[in-house]
Amino acid sequence: MGRSSKDKRDIYYRLAKEEGWRARSAFKLLQLDEEFNLFKGVSRAVDLCAAPGSWSQVLSRKLRGKESNEDVKIVAVDLQAMAPLPGVTQIQGDITKISTAQEIIRHFEGQSADLVVCDGAPDVTGLHDVDEYIQAQLLLAALNITTHVLKPGGNFVAKIFRGKDVTLLYSQLKIFFSSVTCAKPRSSRNSSIEAFVVCQNYSPPEGYVPNMSNPLLDHSYDVDFNQLEGPNRIIVPFLACGDLSAFDSDRTYPLQLDSSKEYQYLPPTQPPIRPPYQKACHLRRNNLLAKEDSASVLPDDALSAMSLDSKQETDTAASGSR
Amino acid sequence: MTSAESCTVLESCALVAPVTALEFLRDDYLLTGEGPILTLFSLEGSPRLRASQNVLQNFRIHGIRPKPQTRHDAHDAKPNPDQPTSDEITELAIFGGKGLRLINVSPCGRGLEVAGPLMELQDWVLDVSWLMDEPCPLLGVSIAHNAAILLEPQSGKVLSLCSCAEACLLYSALLIGQSWEESVLVGGTVFNQLVLWRPGRTGTGRQCQAGTQACALTDAQVERRLLGHSGVIFSLFYLQSSGWLASASDDRSVRLWHVGELSGSGGCGVEVPTCLRVLYGHQARVAGEDGACLLWEWEGEGRVGRTLKSHRSGGIRSLAVSNASVGKRSRWVATGGADGGVRLWKVVEQSTNSELKVEVEKEDSQMYLGFEGIGCPKVVRSVGGGHTVVTCTDQGQVSMRQDGSWKEIWHGGPDFQSYCVMEVVCIQGVWVCAVGNLNGGVQVFPLRQPGGGTFLQASEGKIHSLQWVERRIGACSRGSWCLLASGSEGLVQRWTVEVAENEETGLFLVLRKMTPFLLPPCAKQWLTAAVTVTIHSGKKKVLWVCGDRRGSLLLYKDEKEKSQRESVQEEDTQESVVGINAPIPAVATLFGVHGKQGVTSVCERRGVCYSTGRDGCVRVLALNKDSLNVRRVHHACKGMDWLEKVLFLDYSEKGTFFEARFLMAGFHSVEFVLWDPIRQEKVFTAACGGGHRSWAYIPSSGDQTLEQGTLIFIKQGTIMASRSLASSTTEIRGHTLREGLHGRGLACVCRLGELSKPGDSSEKWEVLVTGGEDTTVNVLAVRPDQGTVKVLAVIADHISNVRTLAAVPRGAKGDETNGRCRDMSFSTLVFSAGGRAQLQCYRLLIGWDEQTNLPTCQVTQIAGHRLDEKWERRRNRHKTVKMDPETRYMSMAVVQDGVEEVLLALACSDGAVRIFSVGEDSRKVELLWESFYHQRCVLSVASYSLEDIYGKTVNGAVALWDLTAVLDSKSGDSWLGPSVPCLSVPVHQSGVNALVISKQRHQQTPDDIITMATGGDDGQLSVMKIKVEMNQSDQTESLCPQLLSHWSVPLAHSAPLTALTTLSSARWASASPDQRVCVWRLCDDGLHHQGAMFTHTADAAGVWAWQREGANIQGGAYVVVCGQGLQLLKTKEIERRKVVFGDRNKQKM
Ligand SMILES: C[S@@+](CC[C@H](N)C(=O)[O-])C[C@H]1O[C@@H](n2cnc3c(N)ncnc32)[C@H](O)[C@@H]1O
Repeated sequence: MGRSSKDKRDIYYRLAKEEGWRARSAFKLLQLDEEFNLFKGVSRAVDLCAAPGSWSQVLSRKLRGKESNEDVKIVAVDLQAMAPLPGVTQIQGDITKISTAQEIIRHFEGQSADLVVCDGAPDVTGLHDVDEYIQAQLLLAALNITTHVLKPGGNFVAKIFRGKDVTLLYSQLKIFFSSVTCAKPRSSRNSSIEAFVVCQNYSPPEGYVPNMSNPLLDHSYDVDFNQLEGPNRIIVPFLACGDLSAFDSDRTYPLQLDSSKEYQYLPPTQPPIRPPYQKACHLRRNNLLAKEDSASVLPDDALSAMSLDSKQETDTAASGSR
Repeated sequence: MTSAESCTVLESCALVAPVTALEFLRDDYLLTGEGPILTLFSLEGSPRLRASQNVLQNFRIHGIRPKPQTRHDAHDAKPNPDQPTSDEITELAIFGGKGLRLINVSPCGRGLEVAGPLMELQDWVLDVSWLMDEPCPLLGVSIAHNAAILLEPQSGKVLSLCSCAEACLLYSALLIGQSWEESVLVGGTVFNQLVLWRPGRTGTGRQCQAGTQACALTDAQVERRLLGHSGVIFSLFYLQSSGWLASASDDRSVRLWHVGELSGSGGCGVEVPTCLRVLYGHQARVAGEDGACLLWEWEGEGRVGRTLKSHRSGGIRSLAVSNASVGKRSRWVATGGADGGVRLWKVVEQSTNSELKVEVEKEDSQMYLGFEGIGCPKVVRSVGGGHTVVTCTDQGQVSMRQDGSWKEIWHGGPDFQSYCVMEVVCIQGVWVCAVGNLNGGVQVFPLRQPGGGTFLQASEGKIHSLQWVERRIGACSRGSWCLLASGSEGLVQRWTVEVAENEETGLFLVLRKMTPFLLPPCAKQWLTAAVTVTIHSGKKKVLWVCGDRRGSLLLYKDEKEKSQRESVQEEDTQESVVGINAPIPAVATLFGVHGKQGVTSVCERRGVCYSTGRDGCVRVLALNKDSLNVRRVHHACKGMDWLEKVLFLDYSEKGTFFEARFLMAGFHSVEFVLWDPIRQEKVFTAACGGGHRSWAYIPSSGDQTLEQGTLIFIKQGTIMASRSLASSTTEIRGHTLREGLHGRGLACVCRLGELSKPGDSSEKWEVLVTGGEDTTVNVLAVRPDQGTVKVLAVIADHISNVRTLAAVPRGAKGDETNGRCRDMSFSTLVFSAGGRAQLQCYRLLIGWDEQTNLPTCQVTQIAGHRLDEKWERRRNRHKTVKMDPETRYMSMAVVQDGVEEVLLALACSDGAVRIFSVGEDSRKVELLWESFYHQRCVLSVASYSLEDIYGKTVNGAVALWDLTAVLDSKSGDSWLGPSVPCLSVPVHQSGVNALVISKQRHQQTPDDIITMATGGDDGQLSVMKIKVEMNQSDQTESLCPQLLSHWSVPLAHSAPLTALTTLSSARWASASPDQRVCVWRLCDDGLHHQGAMFTHTADAAGVWAWQREGANIQGGAYVVVCGQGLQLLKTKEIERRKVVFGDRNKQKM
């Protein structure tokens, strides 16, 4: 299959390249904003799990507007390094780690943020329940950071997996926000369990003292209530957002979208910087993986020697789904 | 108000889920965790299942920790005499998710018993270890937020909790040590580091209350950090005896660290831990995504000792290695797959001085077998089932290699000295060799005594090929051997050959000439393959299936028997007495089916015939008295166009595949490859140089998988072996404890019917078909009362995901008269569709196999179709960009089930709905109608056939189409379909994932009322009643649907509602990735939640329900859910006191 096949399979991937976004995720935040007006009056924002940075791009464009507004502060955090963006402060670190959280808080110098967004997704282990659990912990870690930096009345948006224990997360979020909605942007595939919780109007319980050193743990089922196998009782409204006339992320489009414009292949806007599997891919591409008859011991810095500008497409094995 | 009301109770009957935990108990038992279910296998003799039990309820088992009998042996790999012997109870700590439970294995592995309540901890459990140095054994538990808990196992009381000062999330952890005080926790973080710290160091002496975190006043500091990985750490292992720690990471490497002694006096180990090795070898994540288990040779240079391939595409989810016990040099290795399968290997260690050395035979690269003879070897064969090799050179010399040296057996005269062909066979325990030459001569002789040979003049010209064919009547009787020699002008001479012994002269051969066969005329008119098959039509009859160089398959019958006597002996004598008649022509021919390059082999297994050719295909053939038909075609992998043979996997003969399990042997560019069509992978490769060479493949003895064999081949005029023949003993033996299903997610499921064992109606099997992301369609039989799941057939014709299935029942074809009722077999037409706009159709015949005492399935390919087939055939396609969308078929419904053809409606991702006709006899698929009305990905279709209507759904709306016009227009020229739907109702906010239609005749009026239930991505369930009236205005009849009522449950599931099925007229079962299966009922006052059950099938994508035989209509149904695995549930209706839905106060009581 050629390089255009991904363009064909995924219309938003293609649009992202055409509009200069680093990832197709940008459309999710844009469509959430269309529905919830998330950026109105926002000048300080935190973007958790931000790499490769398309949400930060959206924040940067939307909050700073045309003229670079000095009041605007955007802090972006991720495990992975990210190419720089105008007006965005970067922190490389684990958001579940206490020291990272403290660093974020320090950046706000006692001021509070108007908006916290988190698009965190775990490095998939392939074990369904583990992935779901880790995703929930990313959300709770983001919530914990939020309780330290978000101003009362502020908003929090986070990716959520609608899996087996999603109602437990809803009930936790409802403690801190007066309005919690589960939103699905049209650019997010129908087939994926991904959705976003839009938590509006931060209003922690009276007397709540944010505590960084203890993680927020997820709730357990109320056995008396038969939450596990009874009818669904934690009501969080669902909202599909984005313009109905927008592209359909599940549909497969022809390459020629309209007759006036000739299709042209575009390279990705900003390839990931140093993904963890880079070395393994390099070895595989050059047939250096250990086999039954050859050794695989390479000096650790073999990586530094390889040219980074060679093929930097995301690895097909890591992202390849048919 | 209280009144009696019914509710539905669901109960699990069978579960296939990823195997997430494995543990050996000595050499004797293997424990597996599949979902919440713990299973015990005994390994003595042939491994078998002992007991199985649900122990963790809604958690998956991630770890099994047997309690060491005495101190000092946890994490110790030394052979341990103190391990509990099998006549004692073994205590196990089972954990997964937040759950932890004690389970006992009864003495002698008799069973499993629960030894305590299910404990639910505050956080996710990563590791549990038995602390044996405590006054009474306690449990140390490491949890996901880099903390550890000290537990009193029986009561579940939390004695202590200690967090690390480095608060963060861990992906993996190990707790090492014999006491809380001295234990060391190794954590695998998200930020690429391993952190080591001691939980007992800070929390000491401070008792704390269960569940509270107040006691963790001072957190423990990290004492060591191991840096080097460049990805999340997924998995850890510590080897006490050498002080080594191994870590596996998202960066696809395994690192081996020297950390020294951890815990006890060693504390956190050596001051400066070093990284000993970095091992890269996996194609994908080390978590096991490439489905391979690599045995690394620790002592070597980081070479891969051996690759154990095992599971279907989804990869390995768990792994265990047994401790070698004293006096034994072998140990077990087990892997558990995402496919729900469990594989077991016995690995023999070659050296005992190192505990570590799971060293398997050194993989020497190719070896010369040192042939020294006259001329160039042309043919190699293996004899005696071992490593004895026989070769024939172009100088007519036959030599044999035995015990490492060559000796000449026979050397032909001048006639044999420029060309020869050779074949060997074992007749009555004696190896017999036949050599043919350029002038039509054939020398046949016993290898043991070449002098006892016979010379035959078979032809005027060149002997193109020789074939040894066994002719047997019936399965059990020993057959007689025939030699076939293909000479000039398409004449194939035949002899029966017997070995006799004479006191003076020793062995000699008795040959009798049979009537020759005549090949159909063509340029390359010679025989390439032959086999005999016995068929039972009235009486037993022997048929010959042959293949020729032109790629044709031919069917021959022996001469009409001259007398009515059936004895072969008699028949043969008669023939030889009568003399040779005119050559026999073929009674049936499949001209050129294997392509211009020819047929390479034909063989027979259990009455079914298989042919291979240089077109890259295996054809499964159906034989009749005088016809030959292709039942199924299997393609090897892309680029593997030269197939030579099929190799049957013996262990599956006792299995349930109607078609035998086999590997395809052939050439893929310069390699010889064994391809597994079911697992879709190469299980053996040897760089031999490609096709056009003679080869012999010698499997290791005892290796059922055939993967560990040796290839002998000719390369550049010399004989080579793919590896050393010196070590003749096998090191690895593979067993399949449980066969896996699809390696990845299942997208759809459909039930075909029920089959009971003849003569024992209590043994009932439900037959299902499933389709999945691994691109295969599986036919399964599930026995609900025992929870057994058997794979009956795997169909691998799809090139992309299989997303949707449909089936229509058919009478058993062929023997419709007596077949059906006598042996309860049934037949179905099954359709599968999915990615790359591919649609396939099969006829399945489900029956009972007396031999294996299990259901069987016979698959006949009917037709296949792809929208972009034309594109694929275009020559210059590599140079141009294909502009058409990559259409996927999302859903399918049968619109009309006719005798000649079946009409199907397909929901397509390119925004179209298409109607296809599939003809069983014509084997044709035709596109009848398409509509792009919606401009959105169409997600589901359902049909309501009587009135020629079907509904389809897209982007939250449901549309009803009147297809009468399409169905009425018989010829394909019309495209008379409607351009707009006759009704369109917005129902959901976003995609409608599921749609089912049921119909009821209205009591009073003649109108039809259809009930349409939909499930959406928004988690909503909706039910609509629609009245359908015929509007007869002037000439045209038109449908006039009218929405009567519409009910919804907005958040029926807390996740997308992905699948829906009708239980009975007003009842539905729904499934969702929230892992609940819910039952709903429509009453006059709305939709009611009737019952729900937690399921261990994650990512639920398909559900199907049907009435249970014998159960009353209201109650008793089966519901099957598929997703990451499959679960079969049983429903039961019970009466309960009415609780008003939505009244919380009441519900609380
Ligand atoms: C879906 S991507 C985010 C895409 C991003 N919003 C954008 O628009 O470009 C998820 C990110 O979560 C990050 N991540 C996962 N676990 C994390 C953790 N514990 N701390 C920080 N980042 C994490 C990953 O590195 C990954 O870059």
